[in-house]
Amino acid sequence: MTRALVVVVLLFAFGGLRLPIESALTEQYHRAHFEQANLNLSLREHIGQMSFVAALSGFRSLVADFIYIQANAAWERTEWHRLLLLFRQATTLQPRSLLFWEMAAWHMAWNASVAALHDSNLPNDGLRRKTQREYLALGRQFLESGIRNNPESPQLYESLGRLYREKYQDHAAAARCFAQAASLPSAPEYERRFAAYELSFVPEREREAYRILRALYDRGPQERLPTLVKRLKFLEEKLDIPLQERIPDREM
Amino acid sequence: MPESKPGRFSLTRIAALAGITFTGLVRLKAFYFLLLFAFLVIGSSVFMAELTFQQEFQILKDVSLGAMSIFTSLLAIVATAQLIPRDLEDRTIYTILAKPVPRYEYLIGKLTGVLLLLALSILAMSALFLGLLFVREQIVVSATLRSSAGLPAAEVEQAVRTLKASAFNANLLPGIVLIYFKAALLAALTLFVSTFASSNIFTIVVMVFAYLIGHLQATARAYWLQEHGAGWLAHALLGFVALVFPDLQLFNLVDDIVAGTAIPLALFARTAVLGCVYTSVYLFFAWVAFHGKEL
Amino acid sequence: MSDVAVAVNDLTKVFPIPFRRSKVVAVRGLNLEVAPGQVYGLLGPNGSGKSTTLKIILGLVSPSAGTTRIFGRDSREVGSREGVGFLPENPYFYKYLTGEETLFFYGKLCGLRGAALRARTRELLTLVRLEAAKDRPLGGYSKGMLQRIGLAQALVQEPKLVVLDEPTAGVDPEGSREIRDLILDLKRRGITVLLSSHLLAHVQEICDRVGILAHGVLVREGRVDELLAIENQTELVLENVNPEVLAQIRRLLENTATRLVEERQPQTTLESLFLAATNGPPSP
Repeated sequence: MTRALVVVVLLFAFGGLRLPIESALTEQYHRAHFEQANLNLSLREHIGQMSFVAALSGFRSLVADFIYIQANAAWERTEWHRLLLLFRQATTLQPRSLLFWEMAAWHMAWNASVAALHDSNLPNDGLRRKTQREYLALGRQFLESGIRNNPESPQLYESLGRLYREKYQDHAAAARCFAQAASLPSAPEYERRFAAYELSFVPEREREAYRILRALYDRGPQERLPTLVKRLKFLEEKLDIPLQERIPDREM
Repeated sequence: MPESKPGRFSLTRIAALAGITFTGLVRLKAFYFLLLFAFLVIGSSVFMAELTFQQEFQILKDVSLGAMSIFTSLLAIVATAQLIPRDLEDRTIYTILAKPVPRYEYLIGKLTGVLLLLALSILAMSALFLGLLFVREQIVVSATLRSSAGLPAAEVEQAVRTLKASAFNANLLPGIVLIYFKAALLAALTLFVSTFASSNIFTIVVMVFAYLIGHLQATARAYWLQEHGAGWLAHALLGFVALVFPDLQLFNLVDDIVAGTAIPLALFARTAVLGCVYTSVYLFFAWVAFHGKEL
Repeated sequence: MSDVAVAVNDLTKVFPIPFRRSKVVAVRGLNLEVAPGQVYGLLGPNGSGKSTTLKIILGLVSPSAGTTRIFGRDSREVGSREGVGFLPENPYFYKYLTGEETLFFYGKLCGLRGAALRARTRELLTLVRLEAAKDRPLGGYSKGMLQRIGLAQALVQEPKLVVLDEPTAGVDPEGSREIRDLILDLKRRGITVLLSSHLLAHVQEICDRVGILAHGVLVREGRVDELLAIENQTELVLENVNPEVLAQIRRLLENTATRLVEERQPQTTLESLFLAATNGPPSP
C-alpha cells in the first residue's frame, strides 16, 4: 500500500517538474511554426469529435489529406458549398500545406465563381454576379489566411497576385503581391519581373515601372524576355523617353 | 567462478536478458501482424490518389509517417504489456530472479529488448517508405523530363529541383527519430503500468487511453495554467491530466515536417533529450513499483 | 561465512487480501536450519506454506516478520543468491529456446561467458542426459525433460545450495527416479539440497532430514529414520526361512515381554515393480 502511495507521489512530482519544460518546448515549437503546438479546442468545432481525436493522435495530416481528397470528389460533383466547408477543415488541420490553400483559393475564385455566373438556378444576372463576387472574395480570403500561416513562402503571395491580376484586374494590388513575393529569400527570379509588368499597367506608376524594367533589362540578355521588351517599348512610348536612351529595336 | 560480481551492474546480464526478450518478441504473432499491416498501409499509399505530383508526395508521406507513428506506438504498448505477466505466468521470472540478478537489471533488460524490436521495426518501415518515395520520385522525374523535351535547360532543371524538394526532405529523418523516442517513452510507461496491473489487457487498455490523452495533454496543460474561470472539478481534472500524462504532441512533428516546416537542430536535440529523460524516469518508476513486489 | 546453509528464524508471512479486512497467514513463526551437505525435505499438503517459505528464502517474496539467511547472508541481498540454484514447481522456460540456449542464457545471468560457459553447458547436458535433445526447442520437451533442463539450469553456476520446489510432481515414475538419482548425486558432491514435496514416498529415501508443515506451522522436524521409526518395535526381514526356524523364534519369545505384532510377506512397491517392468534402473 505504501509502495502505491510512493509511486503516486512520484508521478505527480515528476509531472510538476516537467510541466514548465513541456510548456517552454511547446512555445519554442510554436515559434518554429509547428502547428501541433497550436491545436486547441476551437478546432473541434471545425472538424467534429472523431476527426478531432484522430487529429490529436498523430493523424492530423492524414485526416487533412482525406478531407482534401473528399473535397476533390465534391468538386467533381460541383458541390460548391461542401467544397468550401471541406477546404476550411483541411486548411485548419494542416495550415502549413501551401497546396491546400492554393487549391482552395483556385476552386473558389476560378471554378466556383465561374460556375455561379452560369448557374441557371439563380433567378437573375444580378444575383449571379453577386454570388460570383462572393466566391472571388472567398478565394482571396483563403490566400490571405494562407499567407498569415506561411509568411515565409513566396508561393501564396504569387497566387494572390495572379488572383488580383486576372480576377479583379487590380494591377496595383497584383504588383504589390508580386513585389512581396520577390522580397522573400526563396523567391524565384520572375517575381520581380511580374511585379514590374503589373506596375506598368498602373497609369500613375508608369515611371516607377519603367525604372525597374530598364534596370532588369540592363542586367543582361537572360532578363530580356519578349514580354519585358514589349512592356519596356510600351512605356518608352508612353513616357516619351528620349530616343538615345531607348533600347534598340532589334531586341524585338 | 562468476566473472562479474552479482548485485553490481552487469552489462552481460542485461545483454542476455535483452537478447532473450528480443528473440521472444520477434516470435510473437502480433509483431508480424502489426508490421505487415504497417507495410500494407505504407505500400498502399502509392496507389491512394491519382493527383498532381505535389499532392501525391504529400499523401504518400502523410500516410506512411502516420502509419509508422501509430504502429510503432502500438507495438511498444502491445509488446511491453505482456512481458512481465508472461514471465510470471510461466514462472520463468522465478528462475531468473533466483539467480543473482537485481530486479532493476531485469527491467532494464526487458525494456532494452523492446527498444531493439522497435528500432528494427522503424528501420524496416523507414526503408520501405524511403524506397517507395525514391521510386515514385524517379518515375515522376523521368516523366517530367520526357514531357519537357525542348524546353530551356534552366527551366527543366528548376522543375526537377522543385519536384525533388517536394519528394524527399532531410527534415523527415529527425521526425522519424522522434517517432522512435515517442515509442520508447510509451514502452517504458507500459512497463511501469504492467508492474502493478492485474492483467495485460488492463495494461493495454490503460496505455491506449494514456496514448490518446497524452496527445491532448498540451491542450489540457495550457488551459490549466491559464486558470480561467473553469469550475474546480474541471480545473482539477485538467491538472490531473497535465501532471500525470506525458506530452506526446511534442514528439509529433512529422505532420508539419511533411508540410515543409524545418526543424531547428537545437529544438530536435532538446526533444530527443526529453524523450530519453521520460523513458528513464518511467523505467525508474517501474523499478520503484517492482523492486518490492511479491512474486 | 556461516556453518549453516539455510537459516530461517521466526519467519512469518501474512498476505493481505485486497479489499478485505481479513488476511491469510501463510507461514507462522517458522524456525529451521539446513546444515551444509544435507538433503532437507520440506513436506506438507498443498497450501501448507512450503512454496512461500522457499520463495522467501530466495528473496522473491519479502517476509512479514523474521529473517532468512543463506550461508549467513540475508535473503533480501541479491548477492545471497550467488551460490543458489532454484527449480520452481512446474517450470516453463522460454519455449522458443533450445536446451543448449536455455543453459547459455542462465549461465550468462550468473556471469559465465565464452569457453567456460560452453564447457559448463556441455557438462550439464551430459549430467541430465539431454545431449541428444540439446538442439531442440523446449516447446517439444516432455515434462520430465523440462524438469531435467530446469535442474541443469539451477546448477549452472555450480551452486552450493540447490532449492527444488516439488521436483517430482507430475513426472512419470521413471523421470521421478532420474531426478531422485540426480539429487543423490548432488549430495555425493557435497551440495546442500532444500526441496519441498507433498509426495512423501518420493522424498523418504533421499532426504536426510525433513520438516513437516501444516497451515504454516512446523509440526514435526527431524532425521527421516528417526521420525519414521516406531520406537518400541523392531522389524526382522528373513530370507529362505523354513517353518521350523519360525517356530523356534516364536517359542523364544513366549516367556519374554516381547510380543509378535505381525508376520507377513514383504511386498515390493508398485513403483519398483513398474520400474523393473519398464527396464528402468533397479531401485537400490
